[in-house]
Amino acid sequence: MKSITREGDENRSLTHNNDKCIGCGICTSICPTKSIKNGPILPIARGLVDMDYININKNSCCLCGLCASVCPVDALEFKIDDKNIKEMDTYPKWDKDAKIDTEACVHCKACETACPQDAIKVARTLPRREDLVLGEIEVDQDKCINCKICEELCPGDAITVKQTGRETYETVVDEDKCVYCLVCKRACPTDAIKAVCSSCVYQDTKLDPEKFKTSGNIVLNPDSCVNCGWCEEICPVDAAKVTKPFEGEVIFDEEMVCKGDSCHACLDVCPCNAVSITEGHSEIDKRFCILCGACANVCPQKGIQIKRTKINLDNIRSKSWQNRISSLTTGK
Amino acid sequence: MPVIIDTEKCGKIENCPGEGLCIKLCEEDALIEEAGDVVIISENCNDCELCIMNCPNQAISKVD
Repeated sequence: MKSITREGDENRSLTHNNDKCIGCGICTSICPTKSIKNGPILPIARGLVDMDYININKNSCCLCGLCASVCPVDALEFKIDDKNIKEMDTYPKWDKDAKIDTEACVHCKACETACPQDAIKVARTLPRREDLVLGEIEVDQDKCINCKICEELCPGDAITVKQTGRETYETVVDEDKCVYCLVCKRACPTDAIKAVCSSCVYQDTKLDPEKFKTSGNIVLNPDSCVNCGWCEEICPVDAAKVTKPFEGEVIFDEEMVCKGDSCHACLDVCPCNAVSITEGHSEIDKRFCILCGACANVCPQKGIQIKRTKINLDNIRSKSWQNRISSLTTGK
Repeated sequence: MPVIIDTEKCGKIENCPGEGLCIKLCEEDALIEEAGDVVIISENCNDCELCIMNCPNQAISKVD
């Protein structure tokens, strides 16, 4: 974390959090005093050099807060008299968001696995097995010859043949694991196992469907989320909703000769896991792209163009800020 | 067309701010270290230009 502060009628401070920063360079392009410079984005993303993605010149920075207002991942924080401008009515507000409906969520963990920023954590409690099956099982220890056929066969690892003395054994069934499949009963050479499955017979009367459900908690950490849309795309029950910071498209220059697997700079810097190299050419999946432009900046062939048509930033009251911010959508 | 290195700008790897960043970035083994210098293996170069773009000394360029 690096901060720039200046005291006057107001105390202003700008703080860059490199852990949140994705190296997109939007702040660099928007700074009215050209006080922000991009670091070596690709070597940083690949972990080859230990530097911050951006450098802010504290002598020329005018502490206007424009960079913090447009940063799509909130990596820059601007405070006036210790108050974040994001909480002030006079400053722009992002209409970007990611939400997971905890009521609709079935705790399948698809989003947790897919999230490229590890921003989602699912903690779940499975239903108890005894609430899902009904039955009875008993081993006649006198008939049992301790052959362990049942132990080897049991698909649920519910049976153990324990040695209790020099020549004595006991065959124990763990009823938390047994699902009364009756494989042991059928295979037992001495008919020592008595078992019955009544799950089907009593499924409508003795089993409670409320107890079949997996319960749990799902937490989406807004500090790591980049609103890429993976959770929304992958969720099988439409419980995730994402509003991205920008709308528009990515265009590959048709003349460009993509070096694919020998370069893959775009893939390494993409914070959204939206890039893949397919048949030697970079491909960007628009479903997951947030149009941040990090890939376009590192492409040595300069073959990627980000065409933003809309920025979901509201309440831009200053005309000069409006002009400046419109450069993100017009490219000028 | 493979790349060329301006040895004056490049200096020795020990003086490179990126500690031989071009060698680390190149996935085709077209840039290797030899006696403290960066050496180009032209036949391995795939013209991706990552080295040109990321050299902290702007010492790498392309032959026209």
